[in-house]
This record gives sequence, C-alpha cells and structure tokens, in this order.
Amino acid sequence: MRIFQKTNFNFIRYRKIAYGFSIILLVTGMVSLVVKGLNYGIDFRGGSEVVIRFEKNADVSQIRSVLDAAGVSGTLKQYGMDRSFLLSTVFQGDTGQLKSLVSNALNDRIKGNHHEIVRIDAVGPSIASDLKWSAVKALLASLFAILLYVGFRFEIKFATAGVIAIFHDILTVLGLFSLLGGLFTFMPLEMDQSIIAAFLTIAGYSITDTVVVYDRIRERIRGQKPSEYERIFNESMNQTLSRTIITSGTVLLSVFVLFIFAGPAIRGFAFAVFTGILIGTYSSIFVAAPLVYDWLRLTNSSVRLRGSKVS
Amino acid sequence: MKNKRFNLFLIAIVTLVACWSLWPTWRDYSLSKQLDSFASPQDSLKYALTHREEIENARKKSLKLGLDLKGGMHLVMEVDQVDLFEQKAWNKDGKFAAILQNVRAKAAQSDARVIDLLSAEFRSENIPLSRYFYDIRNSNQEIVTKLEKESEEALIRAKEIIRNRIDQYGVAEPVITTQGSRKIIIELPGVSDENRVRNLLKGTAKLEFRLLREPEEMVRTLDRINSYLVQNNQNRVAVQGSPVADTSAVAKAPLPPGAKPAEPVTMQPSAKPLYDVIGVFQNGTAYTAEASKDYVVTLLHRSDIEALLPQDSELLLAAKPDVGKNGEKLYSIYLVRKAPELTGGVITEAKATFGSQGVQPEVLMSMNSEGTSKWARITGANIGKRIAIVLDGAVYSAPVVQSKIPSGSSVINGIGSLEEAKDLEIVLKAGALPAPVRIIEERTVGPSLGADYIRAGMLSLSWSFCAVSVFMLVYYKKAGIAADIALVLNILIVLSVLAGFNASLSLPGIAGIVLTIGMAVDANVLIYERIREELAEGKSVITAVTQGYDRAFSSILDSHVTTLSAAFLLYTYGIGPIQGFAVTLMIGTSASLFTAIVVTREIFHLLLTKNLMSDKSFG
Repeated sequence: MRIFQKTNFNFIRYRKIAYGFSIILLVTGMVSLVVKGLNYGIDFRGGSEVVIRFEKNADVSQIRSVLDAAGVSGTLKQYGMDRSFLLSTVFQGDTGQLKSLVSNALNDRIKGNHHEIVRIDAVGPSIASDLKWSAVKALLASLFAILLYVGFRFEIKFATAGVIAIFHDILTVLGLFSLLGGLFTFMPLEMDQSIIAAFLTIAGYSITDTVVVYDRIRERIRGQKPSEYERIFNESMNQTLSRTIITSGTVLLSVFVLFIFAGPAIRGFAFAVFTGILIGTYSSIFVAAPLVYDWLRLTNSSVRLRGSKVS
Repeated sequence: MKNKRFNLFLIAIVTLVACWSLWPTWRDYSLSKQLDSFASPQDSLKYALTHREEIENARKKSLKLGLDLKGGMHLVMEVDQVDLFEQKAWNKDGKFAAILQNVRAKAAQSDARVIDLLSAEFRSENIPLSRYFYDIRNSNQEIVTKLEKESEEALIRAKEIIRNRIDQYGVAEPVITTQGSRKIIIELPGVSDENRVRNLLKGTAKLEFRLLREPEEMVRTLDRINSYLVQNNQNRVAVQGSPVADTSAVAKAPLPPGAKPAEPVTMQPSAKPLYDVIGVFQNGTAYTAEASKDYVVTLLHRSDIEALLPQDSELLLAAKPDVGKNGEKLYSIYLVRKAPELTGGVITEAKATFGSQGVQPEVLMSMNSEGTSKWARITGANIGKRIAIVLDGAVYSAPVVQSKIPSGSSVINGIGSLEEAKDLEIVLKAGALPAPVRIIEERTVGPSLGADYIRAGMLSLSWSFCAVSVFMLVYYKKAGIAADIALVLNILIVLSVLAGFNASLSLPGIAGIVLTIGMAVDANVLIYERIREELAEGKSVITAVTQGYDRAFSSILDSHVTTLSAAFLLYTYGIGPIQGFAVTLMIGTSASLFTAIVVTREIFHLLLTKNLMSDKSFG
C-alpha cells in the first residue's frame, strides 16, 4: 500500500506562506502567554491536591458547599470523566490533617454515597521552584546537545535551522497550552513535569523528522551548483515526504491511544506530544529545510557537509 | 557469512536473556492467579505454604511496579540546616538570631544552599563567621568548609535514622536516597496508614531529661509576665496574633477547683491578660485550655517574654492534655531548666508496654553504662524534685524523684495509645535526628487508583501495539511481519531490562513504552521506504535490501541519537515519575536500534536465501 505515490510539491516556492502561517501561530501563542498566562500544575506552583472518588454520581456544587462549610479553602473541579473530583489548595505541610478534614466533612454531610481519597499530592514552594529550574535546565541542555550533534553531523546552518524548528514546535505547543488551558474539564492542560517531558520528547522527535529530510539533501547536494539548490531541496523533500508522514503517523497513532486510554494523569502529556509531533512534522518540511535554503541563498555560499556517505 | 552467523547468535542470546529475565514475573503472575483461584482461604494458605520458596523467589525477581501503580507514598523531606547551624553556634545573641531569621526566610523561598545564604548574610552584616562558629582564629572559608561537612554528615545521619525507623516500622522494599545537600527522598510502596508513617518520620526524637524549677519560681515568673503584658497593653490595643475568640473561649470554660478564677473578659484591655489564657493551681502548676494553646505557645516564644524568664529557663507545654472535670482539655505548662540533665543519646533499649495499672501505655527505657551512672547521680541529688521527660520540646511527664535510680531505667508515660507508644519505641531506638526534618513534597496514591492506572496502562499498551502492528502489516505486507517481530522483541527487551536491573515500572514508564512502540517502527519505515526506492530504480531484491539498510542507516542513527540524548537529559534533570518515563524511552530507543537494524535484516536474509522474498514483499 502507498499513501503518496510520486509527489511533486514545490515546497520552496510556497515557503513564504508557511513562514507567515508559522509566525501567526507563534504570535497568537505568545499573545495568549502574555495575556492569559499558563496554568501551572502543583509541580511548579506548589500546593496540595486531593483526588476524591465517589461511588455514585455526585454534584460538584454540592461537594463544594460541603467542603466550604468544613473550612477547606480551595478549588474543586471534575477530574477526568468518572466520578472523581480534584481539590486543590495551598500547600499544607500536614496532608494527614487535610485528608481527615475532607473525609470527615464528606462522611458527615454526603450520606449514602461513599467516597474514597485515592490520591494526595503535596508540593512545597521551595521544591516547586527547584522543579521549575531543573525543567528549564533540561530543556536548554537538550537543545544545546541537539545543536552540537546536528552541527557535528551536518553543518552549523542545518543545525541552527533544526533548533529553530524545535523552538517553533515547543513554543507553538506552549501557546496552545496557554490558549486552551482550563477550557476542557477532561484535560486541564496544566504545566507540570510531565509537560516538560513532553517538550523534550517533542524536541528529540522534531529533529528526527528534520534529519530525515536533511539526510536526503546532504546525499544529493554534494558537488551541485547553488543554482540547482532549489530543485534539489524540493526533490529531496518530495522523496522523503512519504517516510516523514508515516514515521510521524505511527507515533501519532500510539500517542492518540495514550490520550484515549491512559487516563487523566497522562492526558495533558499525550496532548502535548500529539500536537508537538504534528507541528514538528510540518516544521521539518516547511520551516527547517526552507530556512537552510534561504540562509544558503542569502549568504550565497555553497554547502560543505560532513559525514555524507555515498556508496 | 561468519558475520551473519554472529548476528543470529546475538539475536538468540538477547531473546533468551530477555525471556529468562521476565520468567520470574510470569511465574509471580501465574502463582498469584493460582492463589486467587482457590475456593477457600485455607486451601490457598496451604498452597502458599507448600510453594513458599517458589513464590518468594518469583516475587523477589519479578518486574517491580512503581509507587503509582502499586499504591504508596513518595516523600521528600528536607533537613533543617538553619537549625543545624544554630546548634553549632555558640555565644548566640540577638544579632545572631536576627541573621538566622533572615537566612531562614530566604531559604524557604529559594533552593540556594543554606550555607551560601548564611555566609552572604554575615558578609553583608560585616561580621566574621568566627564570632559565632568554631574558633575565633578560623577564616570564613575554613568555617564554611567545616559547616558544609557538618551538614553533609547530618544529611547522611538523618537518612540512616529514617531508614532505621522505617525498617522498625516494617515497610516492604522502602527506597531511601538523598538528593542535593538537604533533601531525603523516601519511597514507601503499599503503605496503608500514611498518617502514622508521617508522624513517625517527622519527629526529631530528641529526648531530654530536664529539671523543673521550683513552683514558687513558676508563680513569680508568670506574675512578672502578666504585669509586663499589662504595661504593654497600654500601648498596644491587641496583642498580636490574639483573636478575641481565643480568650473568650477560655473564659467560658469552667475552671477546675483550686485554680485562681480567671477574670471575665471585658472589652477594654484586661487587667490580667496572661491569666485570661493561663490558669494556675494552688500547688503552682499552670495550665492552658486547648482553645488558647496556640496563642499561648506563640506568646511564650516571643523574645521579649523569654527575656522575663529566670536565667537558663524555658517554659514548655505538655505533649498531651489532661482532661479537666468538665471534659475540657487542659495542657500543663512547665518551667524547666534550659540545659538538659541527660539526653536521649544514652538510651539503648526502649519497649512499649502497659503501665502498672495495666491501662496506661508507657515506654520503658534502659541506658548505657555512662547514662546509668549519670542518671543515678542526677536522681540521687534531686530527690523530692521533679524531672520533666521532654521529647521534641513537649513534656510527656514530670514525675517527682522518689529515690536514687541506680539501674539506668526510666519510663515515659502520658501517652495516648499503645500504637503511639510503639511509634515512640521505634523513634527512640532509631535515635534522634541531627536536626529537624520537614516534609516538603508528598505524593500518595491509594491502591484502588493504582489498579486503575494498571488497567489504563495495559489498555494503552495493547491498543497501541495492535494499531501500529496492523498498520505495518497493511502498509508493508510481508516486510511488516518482520517489523512486527522486531517490535515484540523490543517490548520484551524493555520489560526485561527493567526487571533485570530491579527498576520499577510506573505509569509514565508505560507511557514511555507506548511512545517507544510508535517510534521503534520508525527505523523500519525509513529502511523500507528506502528499499522501495531502490526497487523502483529497478534493482534486484537482494541489492535493494542491502542498499536500503546501508543508506537508511545514517538517518536512523541520527534520529536515535537525538532522541536518546533528549531522554538522557530528561533522566538527569527530571525527578521521580519523569525519570521512569525517560528510562523506558532510553531503553526502548536503544533496543529499537538493535531490533530494527539487526533483527529485521536477519529475517530478510533468511527469507531471501529461501527465495521467499520478491519485489512485492515491501508493499
């Protein structure tokens, strides 16, 4: 079976449209980040979270009023799709106290609907800032490592364009998180450690797709005149289009399964990876390679590539 | 040809090792299935007893489930280094207290090292560290190094003591590690009574025997504080942190007989502000009601109040309330000497029992020889006086010394329940922590949610495997079979490496495997697409396969290296659950390099030599 027979898209010619699209995506995201900000999870915000599950269906507002009456301050939301609720409060050093307070209030006031506290998380403010810093460090370090590796395997122009594409992907997802954060009860889209894991996965994967395209360009560009570059870039991208789509497709398939089945704890992560890979696939074709092309064209230089193997 | 045989050999070895490593997991699973299948508990017990060794072996070597899947507690505790440094300092004065106050505030906000904050604070005040620490001749740098060493040792000691406590309490397979300069990470799978564990862990267990001041001294001190408060009240309308509700609650509570009657609360500043919240018996013992306890504690710890106490003295509250005549809870207040006569370091053995009347739980302690002789001397010299038994700053009891105790035995009573007495026994045996510890992160997952997570994880695993493998079959036909075999082997390798290295599988770990399923076939996709291209150019199947593998290799290597490095950094900087994800992703990516390149190639080689491949085989 084949999805793409022989394609002949002129990617380079329409690259300006793609640039425009990307800029709109990024700017929208940035505006939302500035105006609306991000929804931080307790990993980065610090605080306590209690997940309460009821035996039968329960009404959010009823539980909320019961907890209010008991003096539990905090917000209560539906958690996932089953009869579970998430209570988040400021950081409580003694979670035992919080648990018994919640438990007693619910036992007293909501009769005939047994509840169970299935999860308690408490993150102190100092550790929250710790987690935030190590997340930023991990992201920067991985981008730098990728820059080094691709720079070593190809050339600095290719590497830089690849890293720009990664930035593009991660910032777009970040913008989406800000834009859609808190809109859906089944996925709150909070920034937490798992989203940082998602970003690193996106970074690693975005460059995978980009490298496939680069690899083909490298194979074909050797010894060619700069005037031929446009044709070579286009042909290379068309030749690798099918594998770019299919490799991304298999990953998207499994991430989609994760999104559907793995439950609310993983949903935000799955959403981030899914959109990230989608954007990453787009950017490897429409951002990374065209950027290299423009760079080569503007500096009027020819490519000196390392490591290309011709057999 | 020799090379090929080596590859086949390698594949066989890897498969065998993977199966061998996963065998106990399978046995464990089928054995527990078997145990569940018995009709009566007697039968299953009998079976368990006869197969005990096998069951235990399988369990020990099987794939461990993470805290989130099994249910349990993940705790991060922080050693209070500010307190530790305070202990190390000498000739402390108001200035020192102010500096430490600043350091404490800053340390709570940032994750910078406390020692750096401390030395920065001293530098900005232009005071050499040697004024308070170690020897006056030491340079700042020397003192910082010494304090650093102290805090390192304190962290290790705290970890050991916490391990002791947990071991004594009895948790299966606890994991206790240190992180950075002041954190201890504790993982306790399958803990059911979180509250008890929390209490067990957070107490410093600093046991002290302290002499009580004379009752007259106590009465005089309280009077002094009272008149000071009266004076101050002229200036201040309300004492800070004293809600009106507090005092009124006490005023309403009927006082026990023999106590000085408390003044009714009036709206204007009270004439006896202290006695509104504290009652005094005629024999000179003071107490406060439960409602005003917090207020009294903050009041008594104010530095201006502490200055009114007699030299080298301290006011402490009882750990447990006495029940008054009308059922109200009253906490006794004790005026004790600051310097302990004896500390918990001499305790060698502790045992929780019931007291002589058989209802009150208590903890019996015995001391080492040094402690015994000291204890004999102390008790001998203070017959008729009271000695308070203080644990973590709270007085458990303050018995009157009846006679000299030569045996080195002592007893803590005034304990609420036997369970609590048992916990005391544990912490006393394990020894005191070098500095207080605080819980700064806690994640608890109940077993029912863990079961849900397992179900969700298994569903995702099987569905993504089905989806991806069916896609490969449909898209690449016969070549898809090879990719699917490689995929199965890949998952097998990931699980077996986890089991073999005693790592545990968590929900993020499962997510990592699911993601690996999607990524592992990528290498095959790259190769197959290349082979299709070669075939389209009219090459023979054998040449196309060989060249496809050779030419796709560079892309595959690049993409795997980048994914691996991202996963590796995630593992390095990530904490807890994220590391589980990073580990499975790393193993999965490395494994796919092997399965996609070596295994599938070997399968094609086999098929090609048997003439089972044609140019149609790649879809």
